[in-house]
Amino acid sequence: MNKETTSSKVTKWVLISISFIFIALMLLLPLITVIIEAFKQGWDVYKQAVVDDYTVHAVLLTVEATVFAVIINTVFGLSAAWSLTKFNFKGKKILTTLIDLPVTVSPIIAGLIFLLTFGRQSPLFPILQDLDIKIVFAVPGIVLATIFVTFPFISRELIPVLESRGNDEEEAAALMGAGGFTIFRKVTFPHIKWAFLYGVVLCTARAMGEFGAVSVLSGHLRGKTNTLPLHVEILFNEFQYVPAFAVASILVVMAIIILILRSVIEYTGMRKSNVR
Amino acid sequence: MYVELKNINKSFGNFKASNDVSFGIEKGKLIGLLGPSGSGKTTILRMIAGLETPDSGDIIVNDKVVNNVPASKRGIGFVFQSYALFRYMTVFDNIAFGLKIQKVPENEIKERVLELVKLTGLSGLENRYPSQLSGGQRQRVAFARALAPNPKLLLLDEPFAAIDAKVRHELRHWLKEMIAKLGVTSIFVTHDQDEAIEVADEIIIMNKGGIDQIGNPLEVYSNPKTAFVASFFGQPSIFKDYNKFRRFDPVGEVDQVIVRPEFVKVTKKTETQKYQNSAEEGVVTDVAFRGTGLELTILVNGENITARRRFDQAPIEVGEKVDVFIYRIFATAGDKVYPLENQSLREPVVVI
Ligand SMILES: Nc1ncnc2c1ncn2[C@@H]1O[C@H](COP(=O)(O)OP(=O)(O)O)[C@@H](O)[C@H]1O
Ligand SMILES: [Mg+2]
Repeated sequence: MNKETTSSKVTKWVLISISFIFIALMLLLPLITVIIEAFKQGWDVYKQAVVDDYTVHAVLLTVEATVFAVIINTVFGLSAAWSLTKFNFKGKKILTTLIDLPVTVSPIIAGLIFLLTFGRQSPLFPILQDLDIKIVFAVPGIVLATIFVTFPFISRELIPVLESRGNDEEEAAALMGAGGFTIFRKVTFPHIKWAFLYGVVLCTARAMGEFGAVSVLSGHLRGKTNTLPLHVEILFNEFQYVPAFAVASILVVMAIIILILRSVIEYTGMRKSNVR
Repeated sequence: MYVELKNINKSFGNFKASNDVSFGIEKGKLIGLLGPSGSGKTTILRMIAGLETPDSGDIIVNDKVVNNVPASKRGIGFVFQSYALFRYMTVFDNIAFGLKIQKVPENEIKERVLELVKLTGLSGLENRYPSQLSGGQRQRVAFARALAPNPKLLLLDEPFAAIDAKVRHELRHWLKEMIAKLGVTSIFVTHDQDEAIEVADEIIIMNKGGIDQIGNPLEVYSNPKTAFVASFFGQPSIFKDYNKFRRFDPVGEVDQVIVRPEFVKVTKKTETQKYQNSAEEGVVTDVAFRGTGLELTILVNGENITARRRFDQAPIEVGEKVDVFIYRIFATAGDKVYPLENQSLREPVVVI
């Protein structure tokens, strides 16, 4: 008995240590390195790299793509989650499977698919050109790629919550004469609020960091189609290590903010749902 | 008739949930829709409310066919089996919901909600959330919420199923009084025969999606029209062999014999049995305590019969030999039921 407790104690500490060492090596060390490298030549050089026109443009483009991705995936995520949990229809299984496609396909492949669909080789290309719509090597392509890779994040958070709960509160509201929108606003949304916000946060985090698909579609035009991750790569390839790390630190800061938001949402959401 | 169903059919896939259901309900009545689990009661209620659409047949409320009227326009109050309270709203907001949708002025809403809160004995709980209430309190909130918009028809799906036995008993009487007081036509679903008998003015008995019998509680209890109804009430013992029981009029081929405990009289060997000659001897195989008395299982002619005895009668033990006299049985053949009385009851009693 005593021996068993001792050995399980040892196991516990070994496992905890492994986790901590792993996290330190794999996550903290790189993060610290980024910050140290960024400030290697002092604050002035750092600042210069950060307020550089190309950097600012990259930040704005990243934010733009992220905002679009979040808005469009919110609309899509809510509709998909709603229809998958509240209705029975043909093709339900297919839709469920397809929603997950973006996380199973490599982002590079996703980028290539868009390149082939809208690029020069595509039969669509002349039509797009006539309409003066540029997708490949332009901002719409970046937005499109970002939307694609972040596609499932919101709906995936909502589906289990909606599923676990059934329809009867909505039915009760409908029986009292409430219309669809009122029911959603007053009955359904309060229930999915935290899951929804959590989905938005995940979607944002993923959208900001997206590299693969965007890289294929961007064309790396500095000041035009460069997002933050792409900008970092370019700087790095040009051996401009300090600016590269400085720009990377912006992403790190954004990620940390998201992480904090995530914890707050998770914590508040858990407390609120414990009351109910 | 205030509510009328005409030849309603409804299938889910290959499963026939409603099979040619027709019935009518008078205004102001409290109707019990009784049947075992899965017999299609909820489906009927949901179709009346407009939450499901019948495949064929008409639903008529207040002389209007409502088949194509959406649920939100039917103005029917519905108490869900799960109560379906809005969990992110307080008791007050739950009850006020229907009135707010109808854009009733704020002060009238307040007045009406507080009136209902008082009526349902929820005073002081207005600001609680459903999760902070007991089962019985939630049930009352669901009831008050359904009543707030003044529905002409109230539907209740197993309103007491989730409540523990003691509170359930109180609530039954409370609900019956409340509905009588308000005069709202009501249908409540239950799988509990006692509940239906105690509460309903009239009982509709469902079996496998169809209706077996409609009548007042006494009628359906004492004159079952189908084999199913005969075996559904009470706690019947059922046998195949009709000839095991002497002194009942023969009725030809019989599928089964149903004996209800209340029609069985058990006497100890030391006690006098009025119909000694036609009583059968049996051996007690089980004695169980129930809230109302002893429940005995007695082996008579190779069949187990359930019977009851009061606590104030002399106790009986397992293994004891006793006399069993059966007053009345139901014999069923196909879907027909023959209520049979023991012939001894008609004979003059010879006192020795
Ligand atoms: N929406 C549905 N889809 C498929 N089957 C259903 C649905 N609703 C009810 N059923 C089936 O119909 C039968 C009757 O259900 P119900 O009316 O809920 O019975 P009860 O309320 O008497 O227990 C059940 O076997 C149930 O599985
Ligand atoms: Mg039911």
